[in-house]
Amino acid sequence: MDFLELTGIRKEFGDFQALKGVSLGVRQGELICFLGPSGCGKTTLLRIIAGLEVQSAGTIIQAGRDISRLPPMKRDYGIVFQSYALFPNLSVADNIAYGLVNRRMPRPARAARVKELLELVGLPDSAGKYPSQLSGGQQQRIAIARALATSPGLLLLDEPLSALDARVRVRLRGEIRGLQQRVGITTILVTHDQEEALSMADRIVVMKDGEIEQIGSPHEIYARPSTPFVADFVGKTNLLPATPLGDNRVQVGEQRFQCTVNSAAVKGAALRLFFRPEDVMVRGVNGSTPNSAAAVVEKVEYLGPYSRITFRLNGIDQPLVADLSLNDMAEFQPKAGDTLRVAVPPERLLTF
Amino acid sequence: MSALPRTAAPLPLFLKVHWSDRIAHAGLVLAALVLFVFLVLPLGAILVKSVQDKAGDFVGLANFTGYFRTPALARSIWNSVWVSTLVTAITIPLAFTFAYALTRSCMRFKALVRNVALVPILAPSLLAAISFIFWFGNQGLLKGVLMGAQIYGAPGIVISLVFATFPHALMILATALSLTDARLYEAADALGTGTLRKFWTITVPGAKYGLISAAMVVFTYALSDFGIPKVIGGNFNMLATDIFKLVIGQQDFSKGAVVGIILLLPVAVTFIADSWVQKRQSALLSARSVPYVPRPSRGFDWAMTAYCLLVAAIFLAVLGMAVYASFVKLWPYNFSMSLDHYRTGLVEAGVFDAYLNSVSLGAWCAVVGAAFIFAVAYLLEKTRSLDGLRPVVRLMAVLPMGVPGMVLGLGYIFFFVREDNPLHFLYGTMGILVVNTIVHYYTSSHLTAVTALKQIDNEFESVSASLKVPFWRTFFRVTVPVCLPSVLDISRYLFVNAMTTVSAVVFLYSPKTTLASVAIVNLDEAGDIGAAAAMATLIVATSAAVCLVYYFLQVWLDRRTQAWRG
Repeated sequence: MDFLELTGIRKEFGDFQALKGVSLGVRQGELICFLGPSGCGKTTLLRIIAGLEVQSAGTIIQAGRDISRLPPMKRDYGIVFQSYALFPNLSVADNIAYGLVNRRMPRPARAARVKELLELVGLPDSAGKYPSQLSGGQQQRIAIARALATSPGLLLLDEPLSALDARVRVRLRGEIRGLQQRVGITTILVTHDQEEALSMADRIVVMKDGEIEQIGSPHEIYARPSTPFVADFVGKTNLLPATPLGDNRVQVGEQRFQCTVNSAAVKGAALRLFFRPEDVMVRGVNGSTPNSAAAVVEKVEYLGPYSRITFRLNGIDQPLVADLSLNDMAEFQPKAGDTLRVAVPPERLLTF
Repeated sequence: MSALPRTAAPLPLFLKVHWSDRIAHAGLVLAALVLFVFLVLPLGAILVKSVQDKAGDFVGLANFTGYFRTPALARSIWNSVWVSTLVTAITIPLAFTFAYALTRSCMRFKALVRNVALVPILAPSLLAAISFIFWFGNQGLLKGVLMGAQIYGAPGIVISLVFATFPHALMILATALSLTDARLYEAADALGTGTLRKFWTITVPGAKYGLISAAMVVFTYALSDFGIPKVIGGNFNMLATDIFKLVIGQQDFSKGAVVGIILLLPVAVTFIADSWVQKRQSALLSARSVPYVPRPSRGFDWAMTAYCLLVAAIFLAVLGMAVYASFVKLWPYNFSMSLDHYRTGLVEAGVFDAYLNSVSLGAWCAVVGAAFIFAVAYLLEKTRSLDGLRPVVRLMAVLPMGVPGMVLGLGYIFFFVREDNPLHFLYGTMGILVVNTIVHYYTSSHLTAVTALKQIDNEFESVSASLKVPFWRTFFRVTVPVCLPSVLDISRYLFVNAMTTVSAVVFLYSPKTTLASVAIVNLDEAGDIGAAAAMATLIVATSAAVCLVYYFLQVWLDRRTQAWRG
C-alpha cells in the first residue's frame, strides 16, 4: 500500500473545476513532483493534502489513516512555501524550534535538535541570526529545517525555489534532493519548472486543467510522453500531423517516415508525430539512412552549448527545429538557405 | 484505480474543526455581535425613531413632511450644503499646492511646515472657531479689517472649517502625489514636453483619485462638524447644530432622528463614492514604479517656500491666538499674562475634572480600542472558515466612516436610554463614551490594521498549523510584535481623537463624565471664552505630548527591533 493515497479528489471554486477527480499513490520515501502550467491545480492539490483547502469530494489516506476531513493541526506534515514564511522577529534557532516548543520538549533536547537540523541543512553557524540577515537560499534552507524539526511523515514543498535567482536555484535543487534522500522523508514538490522536476523527482505527475496527464519517472516523462501536452510542456518538441499507413509507417505531407506507432492507432485516422530537436541527426546521414530527407535551413540560433536550426522539409508546411552540438556545427557549418541531409531514428519518432 | 467506484459525495465536505479554531470562530462571532450591538442597533434606533411620534406610535413619514414644512429647518440643509461645498473648493487647492510643494519641490523647511500644517489634527475643531473670534470677533484684535462685516455666521464657519480640514486633505494629497512614477516624467522630458503640459497630463491625472478622495473627506467633515458652527455660527443654522438643538434643547427626538437621517444621506453617497475610488486607486498603484525625486529649481522652490511659510504662519497665528488668549487676564481690557483662566475658570469652577475625564477616555480608547480593533482585523484577515460572517464584519468595520459623529451619538441615546435595554446600565458612564469613541473612529484604525496585516506573510498561520502550534501563540509571538508600529499608530490615533472629539459624545456625557472638548462648548455658551481657550490649549498640549510619547516609543521600538527588521 502506498504511503499517501489520493482517491477521486475534486475541487470546485464556484463554477470553476480546479481538480476533476485526481487519484494518485505516493510511495514511502520518494520525492514526487507535481508539474504543470499555472492554473493546472497542482498547488490546490498540495493545499488539499495539507488541509489548507477542503476538497469537494475524494479521500486522502496517509500512512493507513483517513485524513480527508482532519484539520491541518491533526495531520502529519511539514510545509515549505515559496515565500519561506519565516517568522522575521524570531532568530533562526527560534524559528526551527517553533514547533518543538509546543511539544514540551525539554530545553537541552530542543537545542540539540536545532543544532542537528542546522548541520543537516549546512548552516551550522546561523542559529543566532535573524531571517533578514540571511540570503534567500539560506532562508529557504532554514524553512526546510523548521518543517523537518518535528520529524513529520511527509514534507510538502510549494514552489520552494521559484523566488530564488537562477544560480542559487540550481545549487539548492541538488541540496534539497540530497537532504531528502538522507532523511528518507516522503516529499511532494510542486513546481512549474520542468528542469527542476526532471532533476529532482523520483516520479513526476504532469497535470493539466485539473487532471493528471501522465505519471512516470523523469526519463519516462521526457522520452515517452503519453500525450502531446506532456511532450510539449516538458522540453522542446516538433509535433506534426500525420496519417498512419500501416507497418509502422506514417505519411506527413509528401514525406513518409518509419516510426513507432502506438498500437491503438487506427489506419487512416489522424495521428500526431513527435520528436525532440536533439533527436535530429546530421552526422553520417546519407540517402539510405532511414527517415532521411533534405532539409532547407531557414534560421540558425546560437544558444551556447548547442545551436538551434529551424528548417523545412520538402512537402511539409510546418517549420521544424533541430538542436545541433558544437561539433556538428563545426563540421557542417549550416547557414540560412543551405540544404542539409537530416534523419530521425525510427525508435525516436513517436506518435500519439 | 479504474476499479474504484466513481461516486461524488452528494454534500460538500467540511473539515472537522480543531478546538483551537473554535476559539477563533468564537472571537469572530463575538466581534460581529459587539459591532452589531454598538453600531447597527443604534443606527437602527434612529430609523425607528424617525417614523414614530413622541409617544412612540408609528406615524409613517409624518416627521419628514413636518420637517420640510418648517422653513427654518429646511434652510439648514441648503446652508450645510453650500458651506461644505465652499469649504471644499477653498481647502483642496490650498492643500494641493502645499502637498505639491512638499513632494515636488526642493523647498527648505519641509519637515517644519508639514508639522505645523498638521497641528489642527491635535486640536478640537472648536479651537479654530475660538481663535477666529479672538482675531475678528466683536472684541477681536483685527475686527477693523472686516470693515463692519461680521465673523460670526457663515464666514467664520467657512474659515474655521478650512483650518480644521486642511491637514486631512494635505495627508491624502501628499500621499497621492508622492506615489507618481518618475519614469512618466522622464518619458515626457525625452519627448520634450513643457512643464505646464506635464502638470496637466501626468501630475493631475496621477493624483486624480487622491483629489476626489480628499474632496470627499473635506466635504463630509464640513457637513457633519458640530463644534465650529456651534461656537462661531451665531444664528446661522446647519444640520449638525439643528440636531443638537432639537434633541437637547427641545427634546424633540423624532425630528432629531429625521435630521440625523438627512445628514446620513449625503455622507453615505460620498462614502460609497470614496470606496469606489479607493478600489480604482489600488489598481492604479499595483504597478512597480520608480519614486519621483524633485530637482532644484530656484524660482519655483522659492515660491513654494514662501507659500508654505505663509500658510504655516497663518496656522501658527490661529493656534497661537487661542494659546495667547488663554493667558490674557481680561480680554480686551487687561492684556497682562495670568493663569486666571486655568485657575479660576477651570480648576476652581470644577471644570478641570472634564480634562481628567478626557485623558482617561483617551487612555481607555488607546488601550482597549487598539487591542480590540487589531484583534478583530487579525481574526478577519488571518483565520479560516465562517465565510458567511466575514463580509458582514468587514462591512460593519468600514461603516463608521460613513456615519457622522452627531448621528452616531444620537443613535446611542435612542438605543441606550430605554430602560428595557439590558445595556441601559452603560448610559451616562465612562464606558459608553469609550465604546462610542472607538466605534466612531473604527474605520481608519481598522484599515491601518488590515494594511499592516496584509504586509506580513499569509502563510504564517499555515506553517503554525503544520507545526501544531495554535494560532494565538503565533498571534502573540509573531503577528503582534511584527505589527507593533501599526498598533501604536492606531492607539495614538484613538487617543488624540478621543481628546478632541465633540460631535458624538456631546449627547452622551453625564455630569460625572463631562469631557474637555464638550466643556469648551459649555464654557463658550456661558460666555467664558477665556476659559474655553484655556481648555482648548490644554487639549492641544496634551495631544502633542501624547504624540511625543508615542514618537519616543516608536524610536525605542525601532532600536530594539532593528536587528530583525534588517
